[in-house]
Amino acid sequence: MVVLRAGLCPGLTEEMIQVLRANSVRTVVDFVSSDLEDVSQKCSLSYKALVAVRRVLLAQFSAFPANGADLYEELKSSTAILPTGSPSLDQLLDSGLYTGEVTELMGAPGSGKTQVCLSIAASVSLGLKQHVLFLDSTGGFTASRLYQMLQAQAEDEEEQAVGDTALSQLEALQRIQVARVFDVYEMLSALQEVRDRLSQQAVSCTGPLKTVVIDSVSAVIHPLLGGRQSEGLAIMMQLARELKMLAKEFSLAVVVTNQVTRDSSTGLLKPALGRSWSFVPSTRVLLESKGAAWEEATTRRSASLAKSPRQPTGMQVELDIGNSDVQEPSPATPTEGL
Amino acid sequence: MQRAVGSLPLGPALRARLAAAGFQTAQELLDTGPCGLSREIGISKEEALEALQVVRQECSGDAARTAGGAGTTRKCTALELLEEEQAQGFIITFCSALDNILGGGVQLTKITEVCGAPGVGKTQLCMQLAVDVQIPECFGGVCGEAVFIDTEGSFMVDRVADIAAACVQHCRLIAEAHQEEDHQKALETFSLESILSHIYYFRCRDYIELLAQVYLLPDFLSEHSKVRLVVIDGIAFPFRHDFEDLSLRTRLLNGLAQQLIIIANDHKSAVVLTNQMTTRIGQSQSTLVPALGESWGHAATVRLIFHWDKSQRLATLYKSPSQKESTIPYTITPHGFRDVQPPAVTQNTESTEMNPRKRPRREEEK
Repeated sequence: MVVLRAGLCPGLTEEMIQVLRANSVRTVVDFVSSDLEDVSQKCSLSYKALVAVRRVLLAQFSAFPANGADLYEELKSSTAILPTGSPSLDQLLDSGLYTGEVTELMGAPGSGKTQVCLSIAASVSLGLKQHVLFLDSTGGFTASRLYQMLQAQAEDEEEQAVGDTALSQLEALQRIQVARVFDVYEMLSALQEVRDRLSQQAVSCTGPLKTVVIDSVSAVIHPLLGGRQSEGLAIMMQLARELKMLAKEFSLAVVVTNQVTRDSSTGLLKPALGRSWSFVPSTRVLLESKGAAWEEATTRRSASLAKSPRQPTGMQVELDIGNSDVQEPSPATPTEGL
Repeated sequence: MQRAVGSLPLGPALRARLAAAGFQTAQELLDTGPCGLSREIGISKEEALEALQVVRQECSGDAARTAGGAGTTRKCTALELLEEEQAQGFIITFCSALDNILGGGVQLTKITEVCGAPGVGKTQLCMQLAVDVQIPECFGGVCGEAVFIDTEGSFMVDRVADIAAACVQHCRLIAEAHQEEDHQKALETFSLESILSHIYYFRCRDYIELLAQVYLLPDFLSEHSKVRLVVIDGIAFPFRHDFEDLSLRTRLLNGLAQQLIIIANDHKSAVVLTNQMTTRIGQSQSTLVPALGESWGHAATVRLIFHWDKSQRLATLYKSPSQKESTIPYTITPHGFRDVQPPAVTQNTESTEMNPRKRPRREEEK
C-alpha cells in the first residue's frame, strides 16, 4: 500500500499524481489494479505512458516466486544449528537452535527460563565465538551467574590451555551485548537498531551477530493486552513481525521466553499472550520444576516439547539448571581473574 | 530510518488513519511534513506537528544508537555488567544465613518479593532493611536512604527506633574493636535521629493511591538521589479485596511491576515487596501459595517465602537468577531480624544443613 509519489519511477510526474489522485487512484495497488484505458480517458493522460509506468511499478513492487530447489539450497547454506549448552536440550530441539526461526521457552516463575537463556548465551559466545544480543525486560540478567556458567563450560572443553581460559571467558563476556528494555516501544527500537546495523553491515564492535535472546517478551506485552483495547494485540503482532523478519532475513536464531498463566475455566497452566502469539514461534518448549511445590527445593527441571516443526511433540527431557555450578571450596571472588 | 509506522508510539486512531493513507515507514512521514500530513489524513496541523515530533524523537534515538552515540542509555556488554555488579553493594539483613542464601544480601537494581503467612515477620524484615540500608560504607553498608510505602498500616515507629538503636550499638562495638579514623567519623552521623529522618514514609489506602505513588516515585527519587531502597509493605492488600475485574487487576499489576523495574534500574535501588499467601485447593490437598496469581510470580526477580515449621520460622529462597534454592531458619529478637543462635556455640561456627553458596563480596564484619 505504497502511496504514489513523484520520482517513484521515471515517467511519474507530480502533475500526473495530482490528476490521478483527483480520480481516487492514490496507491500503487490502486494504479496497478485499475483499468488503464479508463484512467487515461478520465485523466486525459497518454495510455502508453501509463502502461510504461505500470510495468516499472510491477517490476519494482511485486514479489517473485522462488523455486523450491533453489530455496532448499539457500537454506542449506545459510542455516546454522547452534548448541544450547545443554546436551539434553539440544536433543529436544533436534540438535540445537536453528537460525531463521523463533524458539520459545515458557514456564512458571522459578522454572529456569532465565537460566537456560544465560546458558544459551554462554555457549554461543564461548563455543562458537559469535556475538549474542540479550534483551532483558525483567531485570533478571545477572552477569555473575553468566560468568559462572562460562567458567563451567570452559572447564568442559579440554582443548583450551589453562592460561587462556580466563582471557577467553572475558572475551566471551564482551561478545554478549545486553540491552535493558522495559517498555515495548524500547524493545521495538532496539530490534530496529539491530536491523539497521545488520543491513548496513557495518564492521563495528558487534561483529557477526547470530543469536538474539529476549527475556521475556510477555513482561512488556502483558500490560497492554486485555480489556477492550485491541491496541495491545496490534503491538504484539508488530513485535512478532519484527522478530520473524530479523530471523529470516539475517539468519539469526531468536529465542524468546514467555510466562504461563492459569486458565480460568480449567485451572490448568497455559502459555501467556494467547492464541495469536502461539503461531509466532516455530518451536515451543515448556519448562517445569520437578518438585511439586515450593517446599521441595530442587535444581532439576523437565523440558517438554509443546510445538515443533521437526520432532514429535510430547518429548520430554530432564535438565539440571544447577549443573553449571562451580563448586568453590573457598570463597574466591571472580575479581581475582581480572 | 526504516522504522515501520505500526511500531511508533502514536495513538491508535492516528495509526489507523496513517495505515489507510498508505504510509509505511517513518521516513515517509518525515518527508511529507506537517502540512502535507494534515492534508492527507485529515487531522489538524497541531496534531500533525505533534505526531511528527514523536516520530523524530524515536528515529533520532535510533540513529544515535546506531552510530554508537550518547543515546545508549541501557546497553552494554556483559563484561561491563559484571564489573558493575561486583562493585555494587548489598543491603545486609543482619541474619547471616539469609544473606548467604541471597548471595550477600538484598541486591540493588532487583525486585525482591517476600511472601509469608500472617505474623511470620515480613514487616519486621522490611523495617530492618530500612534501617540497614543506611549503614555507612565503612561498616559494610550502602549508605543510602529508604522509601517506605505502607498500605496495611503496620509500620510502628517505636519498633523501628528499637531496631535502629540496636544497629547503632552494633556499629559502635565494631568501631571500638577496630579503632579506625573513618569508623569514628561515620559514627558521628549515624545516630538514631539521622536514621529515622532518612526513612521517607508514605501511606496509601487503596490501589489508586498506590499506583499514583509508584508512578510519581521517579520524580521524588530524582530529588532524593541517595535513596537506595524502596519498600512496599503489602502490595497484595489493596488489590485483593473489592476488585471485580480480574483482568484489569492483572494488567495494573503488570504495569506496576514494569514501572518498579524501571525505578530499580534507573536509580540503582533495591525494591522489596511483601505479598500475602493464599490457599490453592488441588485434587487431594491444599497448598499455600503466594497471592495475586500466576502472572504476578513473574514480576519479582528474587522470591523469598517465609513459613513456619512447628515453632521455628524458616525462609526459603524460591526464585533467584543466581542462587540455588535453599531454606534457612531465622528468628526475630527485640533487636530485630537475626540468625537463630545455636545453643552454646559461638557465632563463627554457624553451619546450616543446606549448602548455601558462600560468596561474600567483602569481609562481613560481624
